[in-house]
Amino acid sequence: MKKILVANRGEIALRIMRTIKKMGIKTVAVYSEPDVQALHVRFADEAVCLGEAASSKSYLDMDKIIRFAKELGVDGIHPGYGFLSENAIFAEKVTNAGITFIGPEPDSITLMGSKLAAKDCVKKYDIPMVPGTDTAITDIPEAQKIAASIGFPILIKASAGGGGKGMRVVEKAEDFVEQMDRAISEAKSAFGDGSVFIEKYVGSPRHIEVQVLGDKHGNIVHLFERECSIQRRHQKVIEEAPSGILTPEIRQKIGEAAVKVAKSCNYVGAGTVEFLLDENLNFYFLEMNTRLQVEHPVTEYITGIDLVEEQIKIARGEKLSFSQEDLKIKGHAMELRVYAEDPLNDFLPSIGQITKYERPEGEGIRLDDAYEEGMEIPIYYDPMIAKLVTYGKDRIEAIEKMKEAIKAYKIEGFATTLPFGLFVMDHKAFRSAQFDTHFVKNYFSKEHAQDWQKAKARNAALLALAHWNANQSKLKVSEIENSNWKKR
Amino acid sequence: MPDKNIIVNAGGYEFSFAESEIAALDVLNKNAEDFSLIHQQRIIKGEVISAKGKNYKVEIDGERFQVQIKTQLDQILDTMGLNKPKVSKIKSIKAPMPGLVIEINVEEGQTVSENDKMLILEAMKMENVIKIPHEAVVKKINVVKGQAVDKGQVLIELE
Repeated sequence: MKKILVANRGEIALRIMRTIKKMGIKTVAVYSEPDVQALHVRFADEAVCLGEAASSKSYLDMDKIIRFAKELGVDGIHPGYGFLSENAIFAEKVTNAGITFIGPEPDSITLMGSKLAAKDCVKKYDIPMVPGTDTAITDIPEAQKIAASIGFPILIKASAGGGGKGMRVVEKAEDFVEQMDRAISEAKSAFGDGSVFIEKYVGSPRHIEVQVLGDKHGNIVHLFERECSIQRRHQKVIEEAPSGILTPEIRQKIGEAAVKVAKSCNYVGAGTVEFLLDENLNFYFLEMNTRLQVEHPVTEYITGIDLVEEQIKIARGEKLSFSQEDLKIKGHAMELRVYAEDPLNDFLPSIGQITKYERPEGEGIRLDDAYEEGMEIPIYYDPMIAKLVTYGKDRIEAIEKMKEAIKAYKIEGFATTLPFGLFVMDHKAFRSAQFDTHFVKNYFSKEHAQDWQKAKARNAALLALAHWNANQSKLKVSEIENSNWKKR
Repeated sequence: MPDKNIIVNAGGYEFSFAESEIAALDVLNKNAEDFSLIHQQRIIKGEVISAKGKNYKVEIDGERFQVQIKTQLDQILDTMGLNKPKVSKIKSIKAPMPGLVIEINVEEGQTVSENDKMLILEAMKMENVIKIPHEAVVKKINVVKGQAVDKGQVLIELE
């Protein structure tokens, strides 16, 4: 491969291009009109404008991307995450155009892209699953009956969904119909597929996922787990590797289960098998993501493996250069997704211009970002600004390093999730690794968040008062000295 | 002499401190870049970014706060003409975030009651139902389905 087009934007486009360059391969960036000055465009060797801001007219326009790729003599396309990364039709079109798709086979994408088909596929491998319906729901009254028999609360999930989109928790029976309507409509508009299914809602779940890599020669290994239980709106904000709670025995079992899931669909490339872990450390298969994950850097830190480099090598047909036995966990890594969101206001988007931007630097700190001072956060795309990743020899060291990095990272112009990161790193439940996906609900409700913010503001008030008072008394002292002098 | 109170507004929150309490604060380091003090056995560290009279900008743990100090005299000046009556009813519905109007559930002239669905705003691929906190009559609808709106933009005017 001599030239790779990265069909994405923002930090992930930049991160992928860094590895491509390192491997001595040329890079092609694509961009939408408002992204013309974006850093991923400046970093690339060549760049093409895809069109208007709306994703459907730019980053999701498959034919245009492939046409430009052919014109520029591109021989590989990396889709990143989001956008076209889990679109089997795109993978197929790329392949048919004579270009290598850096990702799994279209069939694996289709299979794992449907949560229902995925459940069906892994059944024969004896992998534990959460009780629920195994077909799409078309009849709402019928679904209501099933929901009642499983017992509330239940979870409505879009079969084509991901990242919390098209997912709804229904606490009580009377909300069921409205939530169902919303979930179907959301699924239709976001994924073009309105099929949803229902599942039992597990009480105190932890989200544990396993990174896998498979080559074209039938070798599949896992690169241990990532814990992604700190979420808001069912979307991850803080991830770490390894999990602070798995025993070596469970780690081995969950890793083996993940490899089996990957084998069930003859998986090639980098993928992630997601599990739910209950309070008794039983794990259940949730779904498989057939792409590079947002949180892949924590795995890179603890294994020393560049996952993008592996993806490219696999796409070139190379055999994995390591076996399961070669892989060892070294140290601990922590990631905070820095979003343009206001943690004090239910994490609602808070967008604007970056008026000040200072990156944290130092050993054990990795910042995957794509912004500079003066830039605007566009409303058209995901509001993630950066991924702040830290590394330490153990969990506490990684946490302390994260605190240091958050304090040194300055973003002004709008609210971000940085202060929330500090809240989590200081929280007893997080530090002791005793938490689940309800962390935000349990410890960071609107009232809790306000109290916490108020306590910080009080410290700020005291600091200003002390400074002001010190200056006041300085004046007073000098006045007294003067008057004493006069008296003499 | 009775102890005077100083009111401090910090980051949108209001606090009241007795003057004697402030005088008792132990400053450990007076350097503005590395200011620290002890308050109730706890060490508070931060940076004084700017100090213009009684208006401060301070930074703690990387987070910036605007702080305004009001002495008793300032407070007296403040109360002159600043006692606005509380407005309990909203006159319009503004966009709480930038997004796309994907559904409008009311019509002009319609009477709506508390918690009625007004419209659905899509932001970052999430559908957000905007409800009304109290009874009102819809005076004017300023947006159409499919329109992109900015944060704070008036979507619906009420009577």
